[in-house]
This record gives sequence, structure tokens and C-alpha cells, in this order.
Amino acid sequence: MKKILGAGVVAAALAIAGATAVSAQTEYASKELIDAANKEGKLVLYTANFTEPEQENIKEFNKKFPGIKIEMLRAPGGQLITRVKTEAAAGKLNADIVDHSDRGDMLVMKDMFMDYAPPNAADYLPDAQVAPNLWPRVTLVWAIAYNPALVKNPPKSWADLTKPEYGNKQIGQVFAPAGGTTWTRVMFERKILGEDYWPKQAATKPALFPSGAPLSDALVRGEVAIAPLLYNVIYTKQRDGAPVEIFFGPEGAPAIPYSTGIPKTAKNPNAAKLYMNWCMSKEGQAFMIQTQGNLTSLKTPPVYPKNFDSKVVKVWLPKFDEFESLRKDWVEDWNKIYGHRQ
Amino acid sequence: MAADAAVASGVESIAQQTATKAPGSRGLLGWLWSAGLMLTLAFLVLYPVAMLLLGALTNTNPVVDGFGVFDLSVQNFSEVLANPNVHAALINSLVACTGGTALAVIIGLTFSWVVVRTDTPGKGFIAAASMLPLFVPPLVAAVAWSILASPKTGLLNILLNTVGIEWRFNAYTMTGLIVIFGIYYAPYVYMFTASALRNMDPSLEEAAEVSGASAVRTMFTVTFPLIAPAILSGMLLSFIVMLGIYGIPAVLGTPGDIAVLTTYIFKLTAWSPPLYNTAAAVAIILMVVTGFLVWLQHKITSRRSYTTVAGKAFRPAQLKLGPWRYVTLALAIVYLLVVVVLPTLALIVAAFRRFLFIRDLASLFDMRQYGLLHFERLFANPLALRSIWNTMEVGLITAIVGGVVAFAIGYTINRTTLPMRKSIDVISTLPVAIPGLVIGVAYLWAWIGLPGGLYGTIWILALAFIARFMPDTVKALSTSLLQIHRELEEAAWICGKGLLGTIRSIVLPLARPGVIAAMTLLFILAIRELGSSLFLYTSNSMVMAVLLLDYYEGGNLGITAAFSIVQMILLAVLISVANLLSRGGSGDSSGVGRAG
Repeated sequence: MKKILGAGVVAAALAIAGATAVSAQTEYASKELIDAANKEGKLVLYTANFTEPEQENIKEFNKKFPGIKIEMLRAPGGQLITRVKTEAAAGKLNADIVDHSDRGDMLVMKDMFMDYAPPNAADYLPDAQVAPNLWPRVTLVWAIAYNPALVKNPPKSWADLTKPEYGNKQIGQVFAPAGGTTWTRVMFERKILGEDYWPKQAATKPALFPSGAPLSDALVRGEVAIAPLLYNVIYTKQRDGAPVEIFFGPEGAPAIPYSTGIPKTAKNPNAAKLYMNWCMSKEGQAFMIQTQGNLTSLKTPPVYPKNFDSKVVKVWLPKFDEFESLRKDWVEDWNKIYGHRQ
Repeated sequence: MAADAAVASGVESIAQQTATKAPGSRGLLGWLWSAGLMLTLAFLVLYPVAMLLLGALTNTNPVVDGFGVFDLSVQNFSEVLANPNVHAALINSLVACTGGTALAVIIGLTFSWVVVRTDTPGKGFIAAASMLPLFVPPLVAAVAWSILASPKTGLLNILLNTVGIEWRFNAYTMTGLIVIFGIYYAPYVYMFTASALRNMDPSLEEAAEVSGASAVRTMFTVTFPLIAPAILSGMLLSFIVMLGIYGIPAVLGTPGDIAVLTTYIFKLTAWSPPLYNTAAAVAIILMVVTGFLVWLQHKITSRRSYTTVAGKAFRPAQLKLGPWRYVTLALAIVYLLVVVVLPTLALIVAAFRRFLFIRDLASLFDMRQYGLLHFERLFANPLALRSIWNTMEVGLITAIVGGVVAFAIGYTINRTTLPMRKSIDVISTLPVAIPGLVIGVAYLWAWIGLPGGLYGTIWILALAFIARFMPDTVKALSTSLLQIHRELEEAAWICGKGLLGTIRSIVLPLARPGVIAAMTLLFILAIRELGSSLFLYTSNSMVMAVLLLDYYEGGNLGITAAFSIVQMILLAVLISVANLLSRGGSGDSSGVGRAG
């Protein structure tokens, strides 16, 4: 019943968005929404996204809507979930938007969020959503990066990362249990690159890191020479002049749609909707793709990130049921094969 | 032999000075006072610790699942105890902290002796150098040393390579961890021992020397035994602080695959889904280890009396080192170089250099690579300034409120016969044993449900810091309280002063340097505290330590270094102010003893 109701509200919202499109100030927000958002004047964003790129998003948004102050709280995945659950249970959830990289963790809390859909909801891939009220505001993608000053014969594919010539901790890897984004890459390796990929790759004795951002820094410094990395983490460094090269493996590019929702208890729901609408719009997605190296879950991407040739590289999205059901056993297998102590 | 006898009799005469307690302290007012303290401690310590235990014994979040819906079981404990990775992490923790503490004692004690008791030139400089590492947050120290001594890209190794030496520094080893722990936690030992040495009656040493003991022998048989509580307090505190530190093993241990308990706990809390209940169970192991150490310290220090400040004026004797005084000065310069100059240079390179890829010496000095990019980025983030302001506010509240609470507790424990003071002592020591990473979530569970607007303000952070650092502050204060001879208070009572009057006119003025030192320590600890902030800050109350970790976790080493430099400068300025405050008003700060 609730689902039907939810779908009804979504449809109604879409209809309203369509009907008011002519009089709206922008294609993603009606004048009424903008006025109401400006009246609220602020919103609180809880996110697992990194501080720097999110600040860029906020800055861009504020160029259009300077009257809305965005207060951001950034925390790693596990800590963010604990905080949201605890605050919500105590009736003190401060967030107007909750934005998380692990769709499984968000799905458990889906009833906490209001029915919301952006005006261009129909343009999104249904597979990227785990619930009708949770949206892929951010979509990240895995790439392979190397430090050209250290690698004379650079790899050209995922399969190349198993070559013995890259042994002795030249390759850096984020370990599998680090979170939903890494689990996506690990799942891609076993499903697409084959059952023997992990043992062969583990034989090169990669250096293991707890998360991607410090690994990207280690790559730039030359602590490791090659590393699979989320593209946005390393692209922003390349953009600023870091000595790295990045490519997308021709076997596929594992992608991670975030899961983002507006809590029913949001104190600034209109400002939250306006920020979400902008992020989800073609304009917002294009901004994130071009400046931060994100991908998008729009059916027709407005633009591809630099270095990404859509004719050669296929985006790989994990099936959500497998994402959940395989995780525990496969991560355990990975830990054993890579000798990672958990 | 004669010297031995003199030493023995000196120590014994001090041991015989048994403490007498304040008069009339068992009345109704006394009971009310103790009850008030117990209530404060129950709120600040017992309630969150109960939440932590509940977490360790269940698989629920007490706020989310409600207090009625949990099954108590020891499953988390049995799983944790059977896990070989936990064993490895525990052993690594103990090895790193034991080695680190040993080194910290050697360094801290050496410099406190050099500063207070020798005629080494430039003692003001050495005293400052001995405290400087305290300004450096652990994460920052570790980042600086990874820039200096990474086996592949460390700046020191680039230098070695340039001069053709094959040998390499490697900070990513157990030895690396021990050395970094030791050099950065030596100030804890220094702080306690220097003030004890300064306040020590030199007549005992003179007695030993008159009896024919050499300077070295006097040092080991009279001086160090007399300041044993200070050495032990510093040692214990540095060991426990090391045990709870996340930043250093996270940065230096991870590349070498050296897991310690804190990095293991952090992994458990950061994973998706987070395993807090397992983390709480691992934390209980940490609590048991530190609890045992606290008990040990109590046992050792309670056997003797360590009163060294009596109602006589004195000036501690200074040993004339002759030409050796330049050796002690050189030691201090080397220490300063290793612990402050080199890491600061590394941070400056990282903060001003666009990227830290440095192939050789020529590349290091390529000025085109340097600029203000990271500082510009840092201050373009509105959170940076806000976090600085919030941190100062939280630090100040913590230092003042925490200082007052700790003085009340320290005085009650050490100088009165009030009821429940033993329990007050034990409870106020409890938080020492709880790692910040886990107590953070316990505070959240405990205090979020309270009526009123505490959650979301900086007061909740300040309360958590006051509770978390209460043992450190009470210990620091107790050391200076223990040194004030009872005869001074007794003189005040004879003159008709009441208990509060005595505290105001005798104890507080005499203990003022100790009180201000304790408050300064609290301020520094609060500013650096990361673990318990992680769950209590909100978008309004972001603090520097959290933002610093954010930048590090975000792979922004340049901004991390830039922010570290800003933080270090701020701390240095604030501590200089505190230093001035502790000296100002006392008239003569030359170290002449406190007349009764």
C-alpha cells in the first residue's frame, strides 16, 4: 500500500514538475520551490563523499542559489550510518539530505526517507536505484592509474595487473572489506575477469590500503607505482597537475551509484529538494563529470569523463541482489587469497 | 657505604611523614560534597561506560533498538578472544607502547634533569624543545615522518642516496613505531619529572654528596627515587596515551601491515556495516590492560610518601658539568632537530609543494614546484575557519570546567578524609582505560537521548573531553598537590582558616603552576582529540582534528600539511600565553622554593 502510495506521489510530483516546466525558473526547479528554499535559507547535508569534491558542488550550486547555505557533515561509510541511525532513533536527525556510497546500508533505512523524485526521474537507469525514494546523486567509476616516472612499461588492462613484472608492492590495492565501493570492484574482478584473477593478482604481492584516497596520494608520491582507483579520487589530482596517467580497463569499468534521500524529518525540505534537483539535473551531473571525474546513472550521459571512451569501455553495474548476497562469502575468500587479516 | 646510609635515612625520614587529613570533613556538608562529585562522575563516566559495556555484551545499538530489546551474551568477547588477528594486534600494541615508553622515559628524564639540575647553557631553549612535541598532533607527526622516512620516497633516504649510502631509513616498521612513539610522548614524562625536580628539597642530595656519593650515584639513589611518583605518573600516562593513539600506527603501521588495537578498532567502526559491538569488546581488552597498569601504579605510589615541598625556602642545587655541559646541549639540539625541525621542514615542503613526488635532491629544490595552492584551498573551505573557532572554544571550556572539576576531585582524594573518596578516585581514573574511538560512540549513545539541546552543540564535545581526560588532569594535579607539605595547611588551620579558606590562601597559590599546567595539558589534549569527536561533532560544531583527518583520508596530503602548520602555530601561541599566565603574578619565577 505504502509502495503504491509512494509511486503515486512520485508520479504526481513528475506531473507537477512537467506542468510547471514552462513557468519554472529553471528546468529542475519551479519558482515556488526556489522561493520556499530561499525562505529556509540553509540545509544540512550528511555525506560519505569526500569533502573537497562536495565543496566544489556546493560552490557551484551557490553560484546559482547564493541564498542557501549548505552545512556539510562528512564521515566514512560505517560511521555515517551509525550516526544517522542513532540520531534518527533519538528523534534528533539533523540531516536534510543523507548521501551514502553503500546502497545496501541505505536500503535498510528507506522508510526513514520521504517520497521524493527529481523532475528528470525518468531519465535515470532503474538499476541504479534500490528504492523509489533513494537516488543516485553521485555515480563513481573505477579506473587504473600509474605514475609514468616509475613505470616504464605501463599496464593497459585489468588483466595486466596480474603480470609478475609489477610484483614486489609496485601495485597498491584497497582491501575488499573497506566498503561498498571496493566491494563493487572486487565483485567485478571475480565475475568478469575470472575466478583465477584474484590468486594471480595476489601473487604480485600488492600493497594493501584501507581506503582509496590515501592510496591515490601514495601513487602521486611514488610509494606505489600502479593502482586501481576510483576515478574521481585520482582525476582531481591529475587535473591539478599531478604526475599520473589514468585509463579505463577495456574489460569494463565498475560503477557505483550512491544512494541519496531526503529524510521525512528534514527541517529544510525545500532547500534539500532544490539541491537534490540541481545535483540530479543534466547540468549538475555534467558538472560533476567534468570537474570531478564522476560518471552518471543517467540513461544518456550528457558527457563522459576525460579519458573515458564509451565505444571501448563498458560500464559495469553490479546486480543489487548479488551485491548483497555474495558479499560476505566473497570478501572472506578475498581476505584469504590476499592474506589480509580481518 | 656511608652514602648509602645517608640516602636510606633521607628517604626514610620522608617516608615517616605520614599525612594528616583536613579537620571536620565528615559532616553533612562533606557528605553532600562527595555525593555531588559522585553524581558528576556518574553522568560523565559511569553512564557512558555502562553503555560501552552494554554494547560489548550485545549486538544492538541501545538508542536504535531500545534498552529492553537486547540479549546479553559474551559472544562478542569469545569471538574477539579467539581471533588470532586480535592477538597479533594486542601483542603489537604492547611491544610498540612498551618500547615507546622506555624511550620516552629516557628522553624525558634526561632533559628534565638537564634543565632543572645542571648548568647546561640555553636551558630555556631546552625546556621549550622538550615540550614542543606536545603541539604536534599524532596524525601530523606520523605524516611528517612518513614524508621523511618512507623507505621508497622518504626525504632522508633521498639524501642518503645522493651521498651514495646504501642504508635506508624505514618508518614503516615496529622500530619506526617505537621511535616515533618515544620521541613524541617524552614530554609527558618531562612535564611530570621537571616539576618534581624543581620542587624537590635539595638537602637530601646534599646529604648524599657530603657523605661521599658521586653525582651519578646521588642521581640514581636519591634524586630519581624521590621523584618516583612523577616518573611513574609520566610513564603510565605516556604508555596509556600511546595505547589509545590512532594517527601514528594508522599512517606508519598500515604500509608495513603492523596492526595495533586502535587501528583494528577503527577498521571495525569504519566498515560497512560497522561492527561497533565487536569494537567495544576489543576496547574492553584495552581497558583491562590499562586498568591493570593503573592499579599497579596506585600500589607502588601508595606505599610511600613523596612530600618534597616543605615550609622551607630552597633553591635546587645545580650540578656543574664542566665541558660536558656542551654535550648535554648538543643532545638537546639533536632532539629538537629530530622531533621538531626535520618534521616541520617536511610539513613545510608538503604544504607548499604542489605534489610530493620528489625524485632527487635537485627536484626537492626546484622552486617552480612550490606555491600557496594548499593554503588557498584550505581557507577557501568555510569549514576550516569555523573548525578553528570551534576548537578554540571547546578547548577553553574543557580546560576551565575540566580544571575546576579535576581540582575538586584531586583535592578530595588527596587531602581530605571525606566519605566515598576511594570510589571517587577509582571512577575518575576509569576513562584512562577507554580508547577514544570507542568511547565516542558510547557518549553518543549515552547523551543523545537527554532532554534539552546538548546534542549538536560544542558543549557535548567539551563534556566528552572533560570526562575522557579527567584521569590525566587529576593525575597531573595530584602530583603537585602531593608535593605540598601538610604543615603548610596545618599552619593555616591553626591560624583559624577553614577548609575553603585554606584552599584559597595556601593550596591554590602553591599549586598554581600545577593547576595551570594541568589546564594547559587539558587544552592541548582537547584540541588534538579525534576519537571521541568523531561521533559528537555536527555540521555546526566541526573541530580541527576531525577536519584534519578528513583531509588526510581524502588523500589531500598537501592540505593536511598546511592545516597542520596552522594548528601548530595556533597551539604554540596559546601555550606561550598560558606560560605567561602561570608565571605572571607570582613575582619571582626563578625557582626559589615556596616559603610557608
